[in-house]
Amino acid sequence: MASQQKNVWAFRFTTLSLVLIPVAVGINYVGKLFAAALKLPLWLDSIGTVLAGMLAGPWIGAISGAVNNIIFGITADPVSFWYLITSIVIGLLVGYLAMTGWIRTFPRAVVLGLIVALAAAIVSTPINVMLWEGTTGNVWGDALYTVLRDGGTPVWIASFIDELVVDLLDKVITVIISFLIFKALPQRLIGLFAGTDQVEKL
Amino acid sequence: MQNTLYVPGNSWVHRLDPVSKILLTVVGLVLTFVLPGHLLPALLLAAMLVLLGTAGVLRRVWAVFAGVALIAITFFVVQGLVYAGNATPALTLGPLTFYREGLLLGLRLTFRLYNILASTLILILTTRPSDLVESLVRRGLPSRFGYVIIAVLQIIPIMVEAAGRITDAQRSRGMETEGSLWVRMRAFIPLMGPLVTSSLIATEERALALEVRGFASNRKPTFLNDETIPSYAWPVRIAALAVLLLGIAGRVMLS
Repeated sequence: MASQQKNVWAFRFTTLSLVLIPVAVGINYVGKLFAAALKLPLWLDSIGTVLAGMLAGPWIGAISGAVNNIIFGITADPVSFWYLITSIVIGLLVGYLAMTGWIRTFPRAVVLGLIVALAAAIVSTPINVMLWEGTTGNVWGDALYTVLRDGGTPVWIASFIDELVVDLLDKVITVIISFLIFKALPQRLIGLFAGTDQVEKL
Repeated sequence: MQNTLYVPGNSWVHRLDPVSKILLTVVGLVLTFVLPGHLLPALLLAAMLVLLGTAGVLRRVWAVFAGVALIAITFFVVQGLVYAGNATPALTLGPLTFYREGLLLGLRLTFRLYNILASTLILILTTRPSDLVESLVRRGLPSRFGYVIIAVLQIIPIMVEAAGRITDAQRSRGMETEGSLWVRMRAFIPLMGPLVTSSLIATEERALALEVRGFASNRKPTFLNDETIPSYAWPVRIAALAVLLLGIAGRVMLS
């Protein structure tokens, strides 16, 4: 991850970074496919968005997230359009922290996973409350929501917790897996996308 | 995966230009949130289904509707049990009491869910994604982003195929894909790692191929196909806007 502080937010829409976006969405899709094939109790459907952020910064990460939900809306589930903002925020956050050089170590990757889960829940909660009065459509989360509401918890807090328990483990593991894959990538590829004009060292 | 939800056809909705269909979708979505009570949302859903029926895509609509039925059921269960306005018991099953107010809210939310879906499906089921993107590029979407959307639809089947190859290769090396959760969890990285690396390496080649064909050029591109807007596009647009105004006016007058 490029550690120079300057212009983390600069737009760098090179051909290479634009071509990265479809690949990121494809990685999201295949991640979900592998998770289902291995019968994991997780979605793991945002690895591509997280990797795009780590490789090419916040804007490419955000666009990868947006395109991901648009494509998922066209191909499978039109409700996913409404959660576009959640994916954008994930890409922005990871991209920003990666480009400042903050995600260097494994413990920090875990913390990043927690941050991403928290941010995703914060952004999704107003959408859930506005559209569905707070439920998320996930059976386990909604069962918890019912118990919390029964105990007198306000709608917003119950909805936030509903979303967070569903997201927490999934997002932490998503970020950890992305981090491990990122660390294993050839240095040449990382330099290529970060646009640091690093030439291959012999 | 089946490539997209698009159902090929030649109905009047299929022939309508994408912009008019986007307008229909937006009107449907706004009305979903504007119309009060239960009867009007039910009528909206009926009207949307009639439109989808004339497009000849109802079979796909039912498939999508059935896919979210579980969400609709949770609306009834959750809100019937714990909605804040619950006062009148309607139904008792063992230790659980469902309340009338919550069940009615569940009904409203179900109409909302299906109205959102039906409105969106009018656009998605009857419009080829490449036509939609081309239409948006004509109206100012940067053509590079248009490429990105279309490229995703092409790249996903290729990557799914690669995923199958990697799975076979790792299995032949003795990777376990069944067993305890930890075993299955560990199998994820040797599957995902090679896929990510190989597809990232391929991006470099694809970027070069695009550059050679003038992808980064700032010249204004021309289009391969002419845009055809049917003669009934404007009447449809005006009718859609009229229905929208009627709905908003009705809501304002009632409240």
